[in-house]
Amino acid sequence: MVKIPALGALGTASTVMCVLFVGLPVAALCIRAVQEERLLASLTNEAAMTALRLSLGTSIAAMVIILVVGTPFAYVLARGKSSLLRTLDGLVELPLVLPPVVAGIAMLMAFGRGGILGPALEAAGISIVSTSLAVVFAQLFVAAPFYIRSAKLGFQSVLLDYEEISQTLGVSPWRTFFRLTLPLAGPSIITGIALAWARALSEFGATMMFAGNMMGRTQTMPLAIMTAMETDLAVALALSTLLLLVSVGILAGLTIASRRVWQSRW
Amino acid sequence: MSNGWISFRRDGFTLETDWNIEPGQVLVLFGPSGAGKTTTLRAIAGLERPQYGHVEIGGRIVFDSASRIFVPPHQRRVGYLTQQTHLFPHLNVVQNIAYSLPSTQRKVADPRVADLISSFRLTGLESRRVWELSGGERQRVGLARALAADPKLLLLDEPFASLDSELRRALRRELRSMLVETPIPVLLVTHDREEALALGDDAQVLDSGKVTDRGVPLNVLGQPGQGEVARLVGVENLLKLTVTARYPIDGTMVCEGNGIRLEVPLRDNPRAEEQPLDAPELVTVGVRSSDIILASREPEASSARNRFQGKVMSVELRPPGYEVTLDCGTELRCHITARALAEMNIVPGQTLWAIFKASSCFLVSDYKSNSEK
Repeated sequence: MVKIPALGALGTASTVMCVLFVGLPVAALCIRAVQEERLLASLTNEAAMTALRLSLGTSIAAMVIILVVGTPFAYVLARGKSSLLRTLDGLVELPLVLPPVVAGIAMLMAFGRGGILGPALEAAGISIVSTSLAVVFAQLFVAAPFYIRSAKLGFQSVLLDYEEISQTLGVSPWRTFFRLTLPLAGPSIITGIALAWARALSEFGATMMFAGNMMGRTQTMPLAIMTAMETDLAVALALSTLLLLVSVGILAGLTIASRRVWQSRW
Repeated sequence: MSNGWISFRRDGFTLETDWNIEPGQVLVLFGPSGAGKTTTLRAIAGLERPQYGHVEIGGRIVFDSASRIFVPPHQRRVGYLTQQTHLFPHLNVVQNIAYSLPSTQRKVADPRVADLISSFRLTGLESRRVWELSGGERQRVGLARALAADPKLLLLDEPFASLDSELRRALRRELRSMLVETPIPVLLVTHDREEALALGDDAQVLDSGKVTDRGVPLNVLGQPGQGEVARLVGVENLLKLTVTARYPIDGTMVCEGNGIRLEVPLRDNPRAEEQPLDAPELVTVGVRSSDIILASREPEASSARNRFQGKVMSVELRPPGYEVTLDCGTELRCHITARALAEMNIVPGQTLWAIFKASSCFLVSDYKSNSEK
């Protein structure tokens, strides 16, 4: 392999700085957690497990909804040519720049008891605020754009010519999507899933605002960590390490999956 | 068989064309880029929807504007192959070929797949990734993939254009023999005159969205019927002259104009009908640039009837070789090899002789120049 002069000393210095800046806190967290005597007890206690179950459950629910609703939407954004769609395309990224706390208040104004849809929801006997559903809502709101954006770019990278050829070969547009477009956009789709899932797992601000902080119902891992910090650093450290492991596990799993996509049989 | 007509309008461009192809026959669609050749193929495949038209494939009506029939592409049973091939990059060779088959048949062991692999000489390449294939192999996989779906019409859009000439000839032979085995109608778009002559049973010249000429390829492309066609197929010199004498014994006639005097074969003037009897007889004479010989001195004894002295105006690279433009009262373009150019040391401003036989000249009907008058 040819050695590329990578900006010389400047390149080396900034690489070291980036690695240290991210690596040091992560390492510090792990070291402090391992030194903690009550680590195992804190990890396996009921409160931690409840928070983990809730975090995984709500984020998986959010991801299923994002995949089912977001994938066709991303495809429409990738292929559509109308000016309306181009405007929508810009708006999709709005939650990315919106502070999560603001997103939480916005959702309260829409779905809360005093919100626009509040009376209608109440009449229908549906309560969202302070339920696990509200947690899913908050995660959907902040995480969906990460997936839609990535999936859209993935679909755009699949040439229309491929889809046309597939159809002339007698394969319907619907089946072409699953046999051709989806596998070809696979790496981007999986990247999108990883980003959105990580964002959903780490969701804090909007959940706090919109769903509240109730153990077993709305207290996800990040909220549990925050609550633990106020009383017991050991528990907070344990929960943080756990969340770190889960996130890294998901990222690693999806990275392996994305490599597999290109080797898949149809 | 396939026949039909379409009328397509978009962004001020109008395309009107029609076709009728028998099974096993190749109709060549010939014309400059932007003439509407690709749009014609896409409309037949159902990838574009013309405003008006009627398209039949294998005896089935797949498009009819009057009765609002529009069969989507995946139900039309056409094979469509372009220059870029567009093999599916996530699948290997066998998976590409078997793409259109039901899932149980998508394997090397399937007789249909095995048959296509052997007849397109792809044995040994079955599990190759498509980016590991050469250009020729790609086009063979593309053809096999199209044929696996058992199409009732094959649409080929310059399928061999990106290949070298040797490979092109080999693929043409394969396509020909395939058509004998599986007689389906083929519509072939090409820029390449040799390809048109080698494969075409019929030819149609498309220009600016209109069919300007049609017939047997040799007649349409070999003896160009129109100025535009003549330029398209590589007749670089088109001279507008007046007939001044006829020599039936020699089989030649003399044409003059623009300071040159040319002996050409005595033929019926294709433009005769359009001209009054008593007026001077106007002809357009075509000479291919590669038929002209350049000499630095006037040959003392030569059987070539046409000799002109002229000044070199320009020398341009035109692979293979160079095109030298000579001002002999009228401009003559001559094609020579790089070695000839170097040996004769040809530079602009130099005086040279252009020499060619009377039989290298042919008469061309040129309705465009007529309509200008």
